[in-house]
Amino acid sequence: MNHVPLTNLDYVEFYARKLKQNPEIFIQQKKLIESQMKSSKEIFRKKFGKNFKENARKYLRKIGLIE
Amino acid sequence: MENKSYYIDEDIIVINRELNSLDIFVRDFLDILKKYSEYLIVSGYVSISTGRTRGTEDVDCLSIIMDKKKFEKFFDELKRENFWCYQGETINEIWKYVEAKNSLRFARTDEIFPNMEFIFVDSSRQAKFFELTHPQKIRIADFEFLIPPIEFEILYKEIILGSEKDFADAGHLREFFSDMIKKEKFDEYEKIIRGNLG
Repeated sequence: MNHVPLTNLDYVEFYARKLKQNPEIFIQQKKLIESQMKSSKEIFRKKFGKNFKENARKYLRKIGLIE
Repeated sequence: MENKSYYIDEDIIVINRELNSLDIFVRDFLDILKKYSEYLIVSGYVSISTGRTRGTEDVDCLSIIMDKKKFEKFFDELKRENFWCYQGETINEIWKYVEAKNSLRFARTDEIFPNMEFIFVDSSRQAKFFELTHPQKIRIADFEFLIPPIEFEILYKEIILGSEKDFADAGHLREFFSDMIKKEKFDEYEKIIRGNLG
């Protein structure tokens, strides 16, 4: 099928179709995940400092992830 | 098999890619959990592990409720292996969540994301209990783990969860696994999932 993707779901399906035919595309996904995890680690270590857990729990309460 | 993104090897779905840091986080957590309980990885990580390219902050893991003694050993081992629990430091702090079947979240020491959302299931949660007891094996490199049947995961996202992100995850799975998904499985699982709504 060679139609132009129009919606977000069209893009997801288009990408899945291409990926199914070509495992090399997994390399791009790996780069995205590594980048996201590295950034998250650096941001929160900087933000919460030495009292990581205490400061993290305050933040997690604020955003509603814990009571 | 090198030119295919996935293939089936004796009922195991094999994804043809290298492990990434998110996979290693999940693998390390499951290496501990497997000693104590049955489990099932569900939702976003099922789509991401099979190639859906999107960010995620949590990995959802179903588990059978453990007794307090066993759970304490599991919790202590997680701490020894550098995981921390959002909800508390001691078994007495977190046991009330287990008793109430509220989920717990675990991350690596000095990290927040990704976290493992640990969801307790018993037979009263019919659809979740069904998928937990009917797992599909999947393997990426040397990491083998359990997910729901693909047709079940697709329907659960479309019928129960239903956000734009869930429909996109389901769309990815429908397209990526179009060669292996079966209509009769959709019919079977839809009854179970819709039965759980009533």
